[in-house]
Amino acid sequence: MSDMKVGLVLSGGGAKGAYHVGVVKALHEVGAQVDAVAGASIGALNGAILAAAPSLQEGAVRLETLWMDLANTSPLKFNFPAYIQLLAASGLHLAGASVLNEIVQKAQHIAGGAMPAGISNFLGGLNDGALSDTPLQNHINRYLDQDALNSGLPLFISVFKHNHALRDLLRCAVAELGIVDSAASEFIHIQSLPLLEQKEALLASAAIPLLFAPKKINDTLYSDGAQGGWQKMQGNTPITPLLEAGCNMVIVTHLSDGSLWSRHDFPDATILEIRPQSNISREGLVPDVLGFHAEKIPSWIEQGYVDTMHCVGRVMKASKARVELKASEAAVVKSQDTARIDQEMQITMRRIVSLQ
Amino acid sequence: MNDLAPITRDSEICQVLSSLPEKFIVDFANGIDVARDHLRVQRQRTGMGARFYDGFTGQGARRQAEINASLIDGVEGSLIWLGELTESLALSNYAIVKVNERLSVITQNVTTLAHYSANTRQQLQKLSTDLNKRCDQLSQQIDRIDFEQRAERQLEQVFNKWSAGRFNTFSLAGRCYAAMEELRWGVFGDYCRVHDNQIRQGFLGDLANRAISQLTNDARIEAAERSDMTFWLAKPTARTQLPDATDALAYLGDWSNSEVQPFVFSISQLPEQRPLKFPNRCNANRLAPALVSELFSEQYL
Repeated sequence: MSDMKVGLVLSGGGAKGAYHVGVVKALHEVGAQVDAVAGASIGALNGAILAAAPSLQEGAVRLETLWMDLANTSPLKFNFPAYIQLLAASGLHLAGASVLNEIVQKAQHIAGGAMPAGISNFLGGLNDGALSDTPLQNHINRYLDQDALNSGLPLFISVFKHNHALRDLLRCAVAELGIVDSAASEFIHIQSLPLLEQKEALLASAAIPLLFAPKKINDTLYSDGAQGGWQKMQGNTPITPLLEAGCNMVIVTHLSDGSLWSRHDFPDATILEIRPQSNISREGLVPDVLGFHAEKIPSWIEQGYVDTMHCVGRVMKASKARVELKASEAAVVKSQDTARIDQEMQITMRRIVSLQ
Repeated sequence: MNDLAPITRDSEICQVLSSLPEKFIVDFANGIDVARDHLRVQRQRTGMGARFYDGFTGQGARRQAEINASLIDGVEGSLIWLGELTESLALSNYAIVKVNERLSVITQNVTTLAHYSANTRQQLQKLSTDLNKRCDQLSQQIDRIDFEQRAERQLEQVFNKWSAGRFNTFSLAGRCYAAMEELRWGVFGDYCRVHDNQIRQGFLGDLANRAISQLTNDARIEAAERSDMTFWLAKPTARTQLPDATDALAYLGDWSNSEVQPFVFSISQLPEQRPLKFPNRCNANRLAPALVSELFSEQYL
């Protein structure tokens, strides 16, 4: 049907955003169309690359190139989690090396000492420049071409109004405990922003509190959009702007196991969720989000591909059966229109009988 | 957990991705994967801490609610689909009933047509038999007419020959005998052999009449005028007499018996002692029928 308008929600999840690569690749292979994209955090960055691409196929190729580059970056050259590298290459400035050092130390503890030795010393002399000069930056600069983005698919991102980094995180923790939910994230239509603010908004959506400085958009500071509406992942799964934009079919991707985002909060929308059919978490929350183990990236890409083929395939098989049922019903009804031929037969038989 | 074979870009289902699936179908089919995702996580969070955490934060209850809602979606979807499938099945059943009804009508009509065809065939066969019979009759008639015409033509030819003087080498009675002998061995004789007495008598009557007429012409006497048999058996003059004419007649009539065929015997064999049944005087009216009678009697044909 030509009136189908498909939206794609790319939720946030740090380095697990590699999953989106497989999703987009699979959607292209099953012949799906995407008319609008919404993303949170890493989903906003991936979504921007997809929106600026001339086709879904090219978008899949670009995303794969970028993420495989990230996966293949030598850990001896840059001893930083993959996601941090990606954000830094995108233009986000670290809020402070000491904070990162502290985070890495904690993550190292969680990851069981998997980080290379001496990283703490390296982080001691860290500055923004050390992270900005990477081949990734060339890819991102090319793929996030502003002209292409403005003439590309409508892109919506979620951002969270920044108050104070620690306070924001505390509110998320309180929401996680089910006490009081965090404030809702806001959704921004990227192409409606002034050119200068478009990339700032993209980076704001991905700006993890404490690690990265918030971004100013229209005189307001914003940070990682995943923080809003924490309990129902309202900010991390930005479907609302796509529904408001008129999408009558929305494909929602999740980057966490058993996401508590609920399709039932949108009873009128047709939603196809692509959920992990096996554990998406590899090493734990912080290592996965920050991407301490870049070698996991190909496995997320593969998982995104397999899960999409599975979830979409199941719906499409059922839908195909429905289409065929309806078509066969129509064929049955049409085939019953035999009045004229029956009448002709009656006339002929009467003639024959009269001849006997 | 993945119970579906992976699809590829060549899979058939890709052909329907360009059309908008119905919401209840998406909720129905996709709800299974949503519930499965929650169930997998739920099964992994069975430790004391996890259970306490999920209970304290309410996430356990919310996850269960999501599973329940997906199951309800599934049941609702099943109900809708089952309802539509049932309606569709009912439609199919009614269609089958209609097909059966039409099939019955068609069977009835085919039966009628088969009878009609068989009757027509019988009539055609009868017509064919009648026509064949009629054709045979016509053919026989044509053959008979043809036979009769050929017999008459021979009669005509022989008497033309006689009147043209071809038999003048014989005596008057010899001419009559030679002409009749030629007819007896030709189509005329065949015709007389295969036809019954009534038809044969008609032809033989014609033959006798024409012979009487020709004899009277040749003898230049009246048909009833009696003459001595020497007149009838007298050889022609030397100018028209062929040397072996007498032998030829003798050869032709060597089968005759003086008692049974006195005329033939006397005319062909020219015995010095004539049979007792052979008259001394005779007219054309007697001579010609006597020869016809002896030559064309059923017994000697």
